[in-house]
Amino acid sequence: MSYYDIDSILTDAEKIPCTFQLDIPDLGYLDNTPTQPLKAGTKVNLPLWLAEMLAIANASDTEGKPFVTFDLPPALGNDVVQALKADPRAVPLRDQSAHFYGLATQMMELSEEQELAAILRKTFVIRASEVALYARKVGGVGHKGKGGADEGSNLGVGGAGEDFLRALDEWERSLFRKAHDGTKSGKEWMEGIKKH
Amino acid sequence: MALPLPPGLTHAEVAFLAEMELVTVVPRQRLESINLLGGKTPPLRPPHRADLPLWFALLLKKQRRANIIPPPWLHPSSLAEIIHHETKVAPESFSDPPPAPSRADPANPGLIARRPAARPQQQLSPPFIPSCTAASPAGYLPYHWQELAEALLAHAGDDVAAAFGGGLAASGEVRGLLRDLVEVRAAKMRSSTADPDGFGGGLMSLRGVGAMELAENRGFVLGVVDGVRKIGASVEAARREEEERGEEEMGSDEEMGF
Repeated sequence: MSYYDIDSILTDAEKIPCTFQLDIPDLGYLDNTPTQPLKAGTKVNLPLWLAEMLAIANASDTEGKPFVTFDLPPALGNDVVQALKADPRAVPLRDQSAHFYGLATQMMELSEEQELAAILRKTFVIRASEVALYARKVGGVGHKGKGGADEGSNLGVGGAGEDFLRALDEWERSLFRKAHDGTKSGKEWMEGIKKH
Repeated sequence: MALPLPPGLTHAEVAFLAEMELVTVVPRQRLESINLLGGKTPPLRPPHRADLPLWFALLLKKQRRANIIPPPWLHPSSLAEIIHHETKVAPESFSDPPPAPSRADPANPGLIARRPAARPQQQLSPPFIPSCTAASPAGYLPYHWQELAEALLAHAGDDVAAAFGGGLAASGEVRGLLRDLVEVRAAKMRSSTADPDGFGGGLMSLRGVGAMELAENRGFVLGVVDGVRKIGASVEAARREEEERGEEEMGSDEEMGF
């Protein structure tokens, strides 16, 4: 992930549920009580970059409690994980989070979830092969007519896979684009070969 | 992002490289040997066959100075055999690349290694052995099979049809079989993503995959492998730490033994 990677920046802005462990004065407005100090035990949704900083701030000190503890965001909640276990293809990942895998990898770095990694890997590879299938079909052989105008469009989606393709997260979208570009340039070469 | 081109060769570049493959022609006119950068071309004497690079053969073909003899692996029966192998015999893997040439090769009687290795101890492996390129026997796909077949069908379709006995039906059959083959192998490439033994596990054998297929799938395959790596990164880091700790303990034990 490079410094200027817009997806990584947006992933850092995803909210995760945190619980404050200390009373903090003058932060009450985070909990809609501007005049009161923020009480210990309050649950607030914080962006990932802030939550990460606060959670590891005092971790090296054995005496001090961390400022906040965090839970897994709803996108990685139990029901989603169970659904992914059952059938990865049926879960609309984009509805959970547009940066699902980015968020998940960040969360796994913070909390060691061995099982989650295995489930995510299975989800990713199964969905990837599905993505490749659609990328080859869309605008490809036998799927679209000889329409001129949208022949060169990059995301000329239509037909059965529309729902699935709309539910792709950003990683999968870039995969789709790569697979589709490969197929498309292959097709262009195949058509061009007869002209020379 | 700074470079508009993705890493690796594009289709056009692969097709350009494939033009250096040798094909056999039957010349119709005499042509003396030409001294090119890549070496001398063989002198052409009409009834005798000669091996020329694809680009040169296509040029002569367009000028009606030569007929191209399609390579043996492009024969419909050879293609059908490969498809049978890919779908029925070994539906999990790509068909093997051509074996190293031997003197007793039944597909090419009398043909020995075209370019004997400059250094005898030099070991070549597919796709760099001669039988992987020009002298590929029937029943195996050479490295540049897709480019070569498309170029021959596009520019020398009549020669392909004539060589395989029959009019347009023969070249149509070859075309259809090639489409099947391309689809079968593309489906394999896709399904191996979800296979833990395929590149879904971060590791995959690309033995026998052609240059054009590599160009087509490079972006996607690299994307998947990269994604799997990122997802497994934290687990991998934890495992490595554990291992290091284990090694340290082992080390201290040994020191105590001394």
